[in-house]
Amino acid sequence: MTVDTAGSPTDLLEVDDDADLIEVLASLGWGDGLPVVAPTPERVEAMLAGCSGRDPEEVVATLPPRFGQATRLAIAVNAVMAGCLPDHLPVLVSAVRALAHTDLNLRGVNATTHCVAPLLVVHGEVVRSAGYHGGLGAFGPGSRANATTGRALRLILLHVAGATPGDGDASTQGGPAKYGFCVAENLEASPWTGYAASVGVDAPSAVTIHCGEAPHNVHDMESSDPTGILDKVASAMATTAQNNACISQGEYLVALCPEHAATCADAGWSRGDVASYLFQRARLPVGELKQAFGHRAWAPWMQALQDGDAAPMTGHPDNIRIMVVGGAGRHSSVIPSWGMTRSVTIPIEP
Amino acid sequence: MQIHPPTGASSTPPASLAPTPAVLAGRRIGILDNRKPNAGLLLARLAERLAGRTGAEVTLVQTKNAAIPCEDQVLGRLVEEVELVLTGTAD
Repeated sequence: MTVDTAGSPTDLLEVDDDADLIEVLASLGWGDGLPVVAPTPERVEAMLAGCSGRDPEEVVATLPPRFGQATRLAIAVNAVMAGCLPDHLPVLVSAVRALAHTDLNLRGVNATTHCVAPLLVVHGEVVRSAGYHGGLGAFGPGSRANATTGRALRLILLHVAGATPGDGDASTQGGPAKYGFCVAENLEASPWTGYAASVGVDAPSAVTIHCGEAPHNVHDMESSDPTGILDKVASAMATTAQNNACISQGEYLVALCPEHAATCADAGWSRGDVASYLFQRARLPVGELKQAFGHRAWAPWMQALQDGDAAPMTGHPDNIRIMVVGGAGRHSSVIPSWGMTRSVTIPIEP
Repeated sequence: MQIHPPTGASSTPPASLAPTPAVLAGRRIGILDNRKPNAGLLLARLAERLAGRTGAEVTLVQTKNAAIPCEDQVLGRLVEEVELVLTGTAD
């Protein structure tokens, strides 16, 4: 393997103190179009204190399509640029490690014409200790931790992975989630166990990366039972407009608001019950799907369905991932994945 | 002011193109269809015309899905069966 060290974060660049940093970076093909904090040696060193005792030069992951080496130093440089605090660095390092998991298919996620962006979900004790937000307006602005960590992850994708629009990123329209897409699970308001534990990750803190579209809203003010709410969730899932529609391994992240989740749990429904019901209800006629997609990446049992059958929008209930996000009010959301990707949940390194 | 570059070193697997043959007549040409909509249509027509104009022997090979890298099995078949590969994408 050859290593091109040009642009290595150990080689310092000299920039005029009076220069417009955003323009300097843009001239080098760097940045996301927004102002950045200058990654000076002093600031980067202070950022690395967030991972004290860890080797800054260790390669955490190699990220395609550029196959850039994401060392803790490189991650810290981008964290400074995005405005992160040192407490956010361990979250970011773990997120980068998750991005490189083979199940996630980062090369495809970065290179596709689809609008997919990796959503970073933060779970556990670090939500409180580092200031992540999973309550009212969680997907929106206002939380420094959510905003800067999400942005830093995108900067890493741009700079280290090479997911530059028109080069390593062929997304036809791009999307707002590509600026930054980070949220916390609202475990305090969840009637169920934490999401990470539900997928087998038993750790004080964890991250999930789910590569999907921006959230699709699900509004239900009226229902006092789970079926009324979940039928609306199912209707947001059952459309031929999504990549997932012709890919049976595709996942749906269903971010239920606390009130919708409480309605389900109060009726005795577990997280698994919610997923199973959605698997049954989010369906389209096979004939309609065949007409819409000449090539379907379906499991063999789905290929055997007849035109008059109702095909589920994904091949297994486990592909429907349920967690609680948000605050007061009765709006939930569906985040369809890109399709040829699997969500990844890993512990945050201590 | 000094700043750290944000890119990180790159570790790209080494790759280079084989020399392009000057004459296609008598060559074995592989057409690699990545299964994007219309890619097969375009590439099959290209294969048909290439065979007609040059006398080359053309093989059309499909990958499983455009969203994942070409399978080793498919690449291995191309290495064994053809001397030149044409590929492309479409939507």
